[in-house]
Amino acid sequence: MDYLYDHYSSALYGVISRIINNEDVAEEVLQDVFLRIWDRIDNYDVAKGRLFTWMLNIARNLAIDKTRSKEISKDRKTDDIDDLVNRIDRKQQAEQNVETIGLKEVLGRLSEDQKFVVEYLYLKGYTQSELADEFNIPLGTVKTRLRLAMIELRTILEVKSDS
Amino acid sequence: MESYALGELTQSERLEVERNLAQYPELRQELAVIEETMEAFLMKAGTAPRAGVKEKILASVKAPVKTETRSAKVVSMEPETKGNIISLWKYATAASVIIALTSSYMAYNFWNNWKDTEVSLLELRALNEQVARDYNQVNERLDAIENGMQIMSNPAFQRVVMKGTANSPEALASVYWNQNTQEVYLSVQNLKALAKEQQYQLWAIVDGKPVDMGVFDGPDGANTLAGLLKMKTTGKAAAFAVTIEPRGGKSSPSLETMQVLGNT
Repeated sequence: MDYLYDHYSSALYGVISRIINNEDVAEEVLQDVFLRIWDRIDNYDVAKGRLFTWMLNIARNLAIDKTRSKEISKDRKTDDIDDLVNRIDRKQQAEQNVETIGLKEVLGRLSEDQKFVVEYLYLKGYTQSELADEFNIPLGTVKTRLRLAMIELRTILEVKSDS
Repeated sequence: MESYALGELTQSERLEVERNLAQYPELRQELAVIEETMEAFLMKAGTAPRAGVKEKILASVKAPVKTETRSAKVVSMEPETKGNIISLWKYATAASVIIALTSSYMAYNFWNNWKDTEVSLLELRALNEQVARDYNQVNERLDAIENGMQIMSNPAFQRVVMKGTANSPEALASVYWNQNTQEVYLSVQNLKALAKEQQYQLWAIVDGKPVDMGVFDGPDGANTLAGLLKMKTTGKAAAFAVTIEPRGGKSSPSLETMQVLGNT
């Protein structure tokens, strides 16, 4: 469990804490996430996807459930996304002195439309239908934009298709 | 695929995707790339939890083990009673309780060990993914360097050293040019980092006129250029030069930004 925690807790906690704006509650959810990973580990099936995806979806679902059950302030909808991105970059830079390109730069290389869907879906934890409803964009458009954004991100993040 | 990776499909849609995944390797490949992209992006966007959270969480995962051992230890024997038969029954009951408790404790222990193994397996798998990724990167670098070596040591390639101009006396780059095959490779020894919206552009001077030979990024810390860059081809050139241009390059060079220049 140590390795899983060391390797993935930041990414998972990032997702959770962007959906839930309260540090204590977010940590509670993170704990639930690891408990569930531990409990359901035999449900994980390599053929159905990567380990991270499986854990990510546990984290997303638990976090979203929490916001529904607890009527936690839904500040996430008004939180300024540029502040958010800057905050993440500052924190990451403080934590690891590795010279990697920052989140801001990654997002900066996307077109406005693509940046918008990536920010809302991946950073703010919206589901695709929530995004479509709230901003009056057809669901199909959201999906297309996401698809194009992923292709773009693939190049920016240098994900090799043969690995 | 993206919706599947985000866990946003209905049960039936999901099953459908999973059926297709089992059947078509190309689809698995596509999913893997999407998932890796998502992972790489979210790893960048991570926030570390506060200190102390790790201990709390790891302790809570292991917690059920402790309560179980405690309850197993509480088994205590009733004091001696009078009747033989009754006491026999008592012993039998006590024994069976002990057996039941020990075996359930053992079963629990085994279950727990099995879980531990399962988690370790998963961790190894994750580690393995990481190693495979690193290995690929190193391999690609090595390939690039090997290719470069081959070109540099091939006598058919002429080396044209481009020295720094007054703009940047320190700058240095070379072109490896094969006049027969018209191939041109660029090797950067020392060029300064550029702003994001700028790129370097290589030019060949052909019959007194500059000809675009392609653009390339400046070095950016982590991403130093290994090996050689393949540029556009030319059969004739009196000189090669590099200028700084807006990203994407221009059709004619901005001579005032020339960084290096070398005659063939």
